Amino acid sequence: MNRINSLLAGVLSSRWMKALAVVGMAGVAEAQGGNRWAPFPPASDFGHRFSELFWLITILCSISMVIVVLLLLIPLLRDRARPGHKANYDHGSSLHDKRLTAVISLATFIVLDAWVLAIAMKDLREAYWNMPEVDQAETYPIEVLGQQWAWHFRGPGLDGEFGTPDDILEMNQLTIPKGRPVSFQMTSKDVIHSLFLPEMRTKKDVNPGSINKTWFKPIEAGEFTILCAELCGYAHYQMFGNLTVMEQEDFDEWEESASLLGIAAYDPEDEEAQWAWEWEE
Amino acid sequence: MRSPFTQLVCLATVAIGTLSSFKALNFFGSDPRADEDHSQMIAEELPHARPPRGVPLTITEGTWLRAPGEEWIIQQNELARKQGLEPRFTEDPSAADGEGAWIDSTGFIQKRYDEEEDFWAYWQWVGPAQLTRGRRDFVQFCSSCHGLDGDGYGRSGQWLRPSPRDFRQTNFKFTKVLANLPTDDALKRLIKRGLDGTPMLPWDLSDEQITDIVQYIKSLSPEGMGWRDPFTGIGSIVEAGENPWAGRENFAIKHGEKVYHGVAQCMLCHPGYVNPRDLPGLLDQPEDTVYRENLYLPVLKDSEYEVLGEKVKILPPDFTFHTIRSGQTPQDLYETIASGIKGTAMPAWKGSLSEEDLWALAYYVQDLVEEYKDKPAERRGLMERLREGL
Repeated sequence: MNRINSLLAGVLSSRWMKALAVVGMAGVAEAQGGNRWAPFPPASDFGHRFSELFWLITILCSISMVIVVLLLLIPLLRDRARPGHKANYDHGSSLHDKRLTAVISLATFIVLDAWVLAIAMKDLREAYWNMPEVDQAETYPIEVLGQQWAWHFRGPGLDGEFGTPDDILEMNQLTIPKGRPVSFQMTSKDVIHSLFLPEMRTKKDVNPGSINKTWFKPIEAGEFTILCAELCGYAHYQMFGNLTVMEQEDFDEWEESASLLGIAAYDPEDEEAQWAWEWEE
Repeated sequence: MRSPFTQLVCLATVAIGTLSSFKALNFFGSDPRADEDHSQMIAEELPHARPPRGVPLTITEGTWLRAPGEEWIIQQNELARKQGLEPRFTEDPSAADGEGAWIDSTGFIQKRYDEEEDFWAYWQWVGPAQLTRGRRDFVQFCSSCHGLDGDGYGRSGQWLRPSPRDFRQTNFKFTKVLANLPTDDALKRLIKRGLDGTPMLPWDLSDEQITDIVQYIKSLSPEGMGWRDPFTGIGSIVEAGENPWAGRENFAIKHGEKVYHGVAQCMLCHPGYVNPRDLPGLLDQPEDTVYRENLYLPVLKDSEYEVLGEKVKILPPDFTFHTIRSGQTPQDLYETIASGIKGTAMPAWKGSLSEEDLWALAYYVQDLVEEYKDKPAERRGLMERLREGL
């Protein structure tokens, strides 16, 4: 009894606990101020779904943790050894206990997991897997080629076709228009990479030997982050780039310039530099 | 009580675990880098660093490589003295069988006579241990692009433009030296800084590792070329000297515009940033001077660098659009313009242009980058001005 009491008192009053509390509070304060402790605000049209799901899971887990810890305190205090009371041990092996456990588990699964699963499936179906039709003029296609340790992006240029002289080639930099769905087809030269656009809430593996697809629709203009989210070798941590989302009129001008410079740089004899593939429908 | 068999299994597990952790902690071996058989070691202990089968990782013979001359050695010692350090090289007349040599921490430099060519040149001896260390690090960090043999055609180097260097061609673009080849320090700086806008990263390896890699890269020169050519010139990074425009940057930009479109004729390859109608006025040329077509676009240029046996062409950058490879401060730009870009159409301008003109060009280019790059609205205005009346 004394041991448990002193242990509890020791843990609760220790400086580690205090430090933890301070860090926790600082984290919450930062998160409320929209600082780096919280996820970036989403910049794509389905991004809010991911944020909502993230917060739902976080809050549900926090609530259930509080409940579980409180429930744990009941036997800890009720059955402890104290003057006039012997410690009471129970392995939870009676039928009653087993039924209780089963009911609690089932309730938790239905309330927490099934709820989250339902929302996640709905989001995937309605947003993430709901790829835009590429033959729509609105959709902007991009071919991505990952390598150790850089991202290459190829835009179709003014003629809208890949593998032509006016293709736009960029490295560790991607420029796209705001408000149009952007469709990606991606592959890798060497090892597995993963294209991660945190603000766009988009992440998809990039595998050598296969073409993976993803998409999003940016709803905010500005500068965002491109990362590699799959450990791909020594300099994986340096494999990042810059995503620029432009207003349509800025983008039109940029696309024309980039296309003209693409034509200027085009060397028909250097076949290897033209790595575009047939866009897969 | 558990059965004897279970006890035996437990005991064996503990024994194997202890032994293997001893092995992992390298209780049984000395410094792995001193080992003879590196390929064996890598295969056993570092599965993630395992090279493809049959790639040799050990170099058994040292080699002689060209070194900068005595002037450079004295300069290095002077530099160390100014920083309050011990001199880098010590001259030892009795070293190398009494022939005399300059010794530093990595090896020694000697003046040697080439009988075939009847020529005295400075050579540096690089030992097999250092080459092996360099080879190991090269395979781990560089070979994915530069290839396992330094042929510039590694798995990740394919389809890549600008293509990674083939070290057997001994052509280095951004060395920033006037001579044909750079000193070790110049190469080391290049590796540490990387090249912007290419997959050549700023490598944060240790100084010793980069030194070893540089020695290995130098040793890839074929016989009679690069660091194995007795007549080759090796130089330090070009010295910028006093900035004549300090405090008068705006005048430098204006003067730079004239130099860019006038004396230096940069606009023959790079884009011109003045409408052709306004150029005669700017340059005091006759009104009917004809400039090249599409002056607002750069022109594709030949280079000496070969990929798969074909010489590749290089597009000179449009400073308002492309990323400048090796630094954007006036100091960096001065160094690049003054020393040129080896193997391309960009010549070394030091000597052809005055120091004032060189610095003015650097300020002008920096101004172009600052004013227009990644600024769509400003760049659109510029382009409209340039294409007006065409």
